[in-house]
Parts: sequence; structure tokens; C-alpha cells
Amino acid sequence: MTMKNAGFFVLPLLFDDTTFEQMQEGLSVKIEPTSAPRSFTLLDCHDQSLRAKGRLLIQTDGMLQLLQSDGQSFIQRCQGKDQFARDLPAGPVRNALKGFPVLRALIAVGQGEIQTRSLAILDDLQKTQVRGSVWSMSTDVGRVTVVGIEKLRGYERVFAKTHAALAEKAAQDERFEAVYQGLFPEMRPYQAKPEIHLGKNEPSIEVAADIIRTYLAVARQNEDGVIADTDTEFLHDYRISLRKIRSVISLFKGVLSESQTVELKQLFSELMAPTGRMRDLDVYLLEKDMYFKLIPPNLHAGLQAMFDEFHEERAQEFSRLKRRLRSAAYDRTMKDLSATFDGANQLEPGQNAQRGAYGYACTLIWKRNRKVCKLARSISKDTPDELVHDLRIDCKKLRYLMEFFAPLFDANDFKAIIKPLKKLQDNLGLFNDFSVQQEALLSFVSRQSTTQGRVDAQIGLAAGGLIAVLDQRQRAERDRVMSSFQLFDGPDIRHLFRSLFHQTKG
Amino acid sequence: MKIIACYSNKGGVGKTATSVNLAHAYAQAGKQVLLCDLDPQGASSFYFRVKPSKKLTEARFFEDVKRFTNAIRASDFEGLDVLPANLTFRDFDVFLSRMRNKRSRLKKALTSACSDYDVIILDCPPNFSTLSENIFKAADEIIVPVIPTTLSERTFDQLIRFFDEHKLRKKKLRAFFSMVQLRKTLHQDTMQNMRMAYRKRFLQTSVPFAADIEKMGQHRAPVSIYAGRSPASDAYQALYDELENGVVSSK
Repeated sequence: MTMKNAGFFVLPLLFDDTTFEQMQEGLSVKIEPTSAPRSFTLLDCHDQSLRAKGRLLIQTDGMLQLLQSDGQSFIQRCQGKDQFARDLPAGPVRNALKGFPVLRALIAVGQGEIQTRSLAILDDLQKTQVRGSVWSMSTDVGRVTVVGIEKLRGYERVFAKTHAALAEKAAQDERFEAVYQGLFPEMRPYQAKPEIHLGKNEPSIEVAADIIRTYLAVARQNEDGVIADTDTEFLHDYRISLRKIRSVISLFKGVLSESQTVELKQLFSELMAPTGRMRDLDVYLLEKDMYFKLIPPNLHAGLQAMFDEFHEERAQEFSRLKRRLRSAAYDRTMKDLSATFDGANQLEPGQNAQRGAYGYACTLIWKRNRKVCKLARSISKDTPDELVHDLRIDCKKLRYLMEFFAPLFDANDFKAIIKPLKKLQDNLGLFNDFSVQQEALLSFVSRQSTTQGRVDAQIGLAAGGLIAVLDQRQRAERDRVMSSFQLFDGPDIRHLFRSLFHQTKG
Repeated sequence: MKIIACYSNKGGVGKTATSVNLAHAYAQAGKQVLLCDLDPQGASSFYFRVKPSKKLTEARFFEDVKRFTNAIRASDFEGLDVLPANLTFRDFDVFLSRMRNKRSRLKKALTSACSDYDVIILDCPPNFSTLSENIFKAADEIIVPVIPTTLSERTFDQLIRFFDEHKLRKKKLRAFFSMVQLRKTLHQDTMQNMRMAYRKRFLQTSVPFAADIEKMGQHRAPVSIYAGRSPASDAYQALYDELENGVVSSK
């Protein structure tokens, strides 16, 4: 067994001297409170990436403490809540959070009371042989104690003994899961892509209901964050969930009756409509620095004016969306939808409703891939941009289909296909972004212009400069689309597609 | 890495107290410090409650780097480790030459838990022999506590002459007045005379004769731990400031 220089142990009970009863032998244990009991807030982002990495971020009046399951801990001063890791004051905790998702804000995921104590294991000369800290935490529903010990040079033997004594009593868990479970047993980490269990012979209509029900729940879990405007990822995830649902409805042809398909498509489009502009604006604002770098500083004044407008417009979009998400009508719609997709009984089956999931998936993916390839192969330097846009949409549909049905297939085979597909989609995505941004700039300028078609020179210059750069990038990206497709369309992937999805005829 | 030797060719001048308190001051300033207790009486180890290791007296000790580094003990203070050594002169010689050799296994092994030691403080034995020359060569700075009495004046004289005779760099010598009792005219006069005679050798800071320093034996800790606001604690802090930053305390 390799022993680290430090370790954390999560004990399910309140910690006391008896924990070390077994290992005494001339040693004494000194535990002294270093603070009075006080309230703490557990911080993480919405999808609990800190929890997933085995980290605990604890805020107590003005101090921020990060415990890592590798035994390291960091502490620094910090005021305020709901902020991004990068906005924390400079300090060891901020440094340790370098890899934290940049778009995610730290939010309070739980509250309770904490008391910290120092721990020292002393020999007969009162010399410290093992140093440590004890964090006793409690909530309304549970309590746990985290004991951290540190190896001191030259005192490895006692450290090993202490380590063993604690390990025997501690939760058998490398990470801090026992803390979460002990303090917040009800808490379920948010997952943007929850695992959905599908059976090979499950009727397709049930598959559709499973996926839609799951993503309705995902969308709903993002509503509060959108309303609180905590970070931009809430709206992003909300939109993706709804888009996935819409894809299931439109891509699973013949699974639902024609009339219900039309009705639901319409309904989900209406749900998404009020989010589109706000997401676009979010993306512009997130990329603000990038835009400023694209054009020379003497054109920045116009760009700043543009971004001021974006800010204002986003505020309007946000208040509109917030009002909508809070409305009783919206809540009713979502509740009705959840009821509709709770099982397949409420759904009107189409002619493919009872087809087994596996066979149906093969048909859909095989057909979609043929369509993608046919379209992509027809694209040359001279074909209009429209076709490239169509290719993007078909690739997205293919990707969604593969993700929906992934549980039915071999994970490694899927990975081999998804990797070049993702690369192609990245190029297509950028190609599309550059094109959409140019259109947005043009429409912005036309909105800013007078009835005579005159526009403020600063804004005109900035927009013109940006459009020129974006157009070049778009064209460069288009070239890359073609080479990425060559990689995707290689003999290995073709063979894989055939063997996975077209065996009956092959 | 900087090697600071705490040396005196006369016993009972507060050498070990200086080593211990300086080591602690360096560690407090965020440095990684190794205090080597080379005094056969093992007093600095005693002050840090570190038990001397039996292994250390064995003759072939320095041929085994692993055993050497295994003997290093963390003190109760962040960044401060202690080597509770009890070295023969022969070992000591090898120790010093290897410490200076960047490629030696000893030097490589001499890293603290995470990084190199920034400062190595040697609490030297009070003997005066030809082997002391090696300390003088190896150390970057030699801290010499001097009690301002006639007898000390003579021994300091001897030390300077030794440096002259052996063509050693006298610049390394950083003497300071130790156990100073300002109410004694003898102390005042001696200090004045010696500062005149060895103008560049003496630090401005002096450490008073204080009960708080004597109490180190009871508390077994650096002065600033149990008497943080005492003149003695201030004096060691000032000594550190002057040595490290060239700043002379106004106190």
C-alpha cells in the first residue's frame, strides 16, 4: 500500500478521543477547538464538479476552505457568494480551483454548522508526531466528522498507525461522498446527460417516452438557475434538453401519431423560442474579449457601443424570460408534459411505436448516416453555403440519434465513430457561428441606421472590420469541414457503420 | 540554498539559543529550514523536543544517504526540520563537503517534503580545531555570538587571526553581542571598543541577557512561542531582519 503524506477520513459519528484508543502506547491525543461552532455553506457548481472530483469547498464567515481527497487542503479569505472561481480574491484556494469549469458559478449547494479543531498526537516529550485537523459538520438531518492528518518528517511510524486506526473507522470511500451522504442524504447531483436504461427489445414508443421524460426533468432542474441568472450554463443546458426532446419527436418518425408529432413539435418550439435570442446574446457577451482582439484598438469604440447595446438587450430578454418561467401557465405546460410522458400510455402510437429499440435504432442511424455522407460528398469548393448548413443539421441529428441509442451498442465502437464526428461538428459549428455572427452584425447595423441608411461611423467601422475577419474565418473553417469529413468518411468508420447498423443486408 | 553556521570558539555564549530562534524566524518568514544540531550536547534538538537518533552516532552514518535523511525530523513548526546529529569530526567534514557539492547524493536527498531547503542552519560544536576551517569554507554566513567581556574580546581576536592566517573570507563573519547587560559599564565599554576595532564584523542588533531566553529549557520552544512580546523575542526577530534583509530595527 502506498501511503500519501496526508489523508482525510470521513467518520460517520462525532469524533472523540476514543477513536484513537487502540493506538496509544505512550502517545497522547490533544484536540483543541480552533473555532466556535458556526454556520457553513457548501459550495459547488450546479453539476457538482467539485463533488465529482472528491473535493469539498466550505465557506464560513469570510473564509473559504478547500479539502481534496488527495489529502491536500487550502484556505483563504473570501467574501460573498454566487461567484465564479476566477473572480475569487487571489489565494491558494483560487489557485487550486484553476481547473474548475470557467462558465460555471459557485453556488451554495448545502448549509449546516461546522466546528474546527486541531489535532495533535504527542509523544512523552509533548512533541507532535502527527498533526491534523478535525471538522465536525452537522445539518438538520445528519452529522459527519472529517479528520485530516499530515505526515511529519521522521515520524512516519506513528503516522502509519494513526492512518490505519482512522481508516478502520472511516467510510470506505476515496472521495468525500460520505460527507454528502451524511449531511445531505436527499441531494442528487444534477446531471446534464443522465444515463437512460434502454432494452434492446423495448418498444420504440417507450424509448421515446424515457428519453423525453428524462430531459424534461433536466430542463426543469435548470429553471431556477435561469431565473436567478446564476451563470449562462443553466439556460444553455435548458435549451439543449428541450432541443433533444424536439429531436426525439421529429427523428423518431412514426413512433407517435402524426397529429401528436405535429402538436408536440409545435409545443416544444414554442418553449424554446423565447430563449434563442438570449442565448445568442450570452454567447456574444462571453466572447467579448475575443471580439475585441479581432479588430485593431482604434475600432474598439464602436465595438464597445455594440456591446453596450447587447448588454441592454440581454437584460430585456432576461426579464421577459424570467417572467415567463415564473408564470403559472408555463408551470402548467411543463407539468402537463411531464404527465404526458410518464410512461407511454398517454401517447398516441404511430406505425413504428412497437418496433424494438435496437432494430429501430439501426434503421434510423444507418439512414441518417447515408444522408450525411451523400450530402457531404456533394460539397465542393463551389457549392453554396446553404448545403454546408444543411450538413451541420444532419450531423447534429446523427449525433443525437447515436447518443439516444448509445446504451444499446458497444461503447468503444461508438467512441470510434463519435470522435471524428465531433471534430466535423466542431468545424461545422464554427462555420455556422461565423456566418450567424456576420448576419447579426449586419442586422445590428441596419437597426442602428437612420431612415436614410446612415449609420454612426464608429459602429460602422467596427462592424465592417469584424465582418471582414469573420468572413475569412468562415471560409477557412469551410475548408476544414471538407478535410474533417474525409477523416469521418474513412474506410474504418464506414466499415464500423455497416457492421453496427446494417448487418442484416451485409 | 544558504548555509548559516552558528559558531563560537567559546562556550556558553547563547549559540544554541541563537540557532533555535533564528531557525524559527526563518521558518516563520516562509522559508524551508533545516536546523542541524552538530553540538554533541544535542541542545537544539532538546529545545525542539526531538529525541536524538541512535543511528546518528554510528561511524558509517554518512556513507548512507538514506539513513541520513531518515534521521531528519519535522519540528512542531511549519517549514522547520531538525537533524538531531551527534557527529564525529570526520563525519562532519564529509557532511560539509557533500552538502556543498550540488551533484552529491546527499545534496539531492536533502530536500524537504516538497522542496529544497532554503536555509540550513548549523548549530556548531564550540571546539576550535583545524576542522573548523571546513565550516568557515562551507558556510555562507557565520554567526558569532559574543558576550561583551574582556575574555570574549580575546577569543574573538583569536578567531579573526585564524581567518587571517588561513586566508579565509572575513566578510562571512557576522558577529553580534549576546547576553548583553546594558547596566554594566564593562559591557558598554567592551561593545564600544570592539565595534571600533572590528567595524565591519558586528551587526547592529544585540541580544540582551534575559530570563526569557534562559526559560527556553523549561518551555522547550523558541522564545517567540511563549514570550512573543518580550525584548528577547524582538531581539531575535531583529537579528533575522538584519541578517536577511539588512534592515536594522529602530528598537
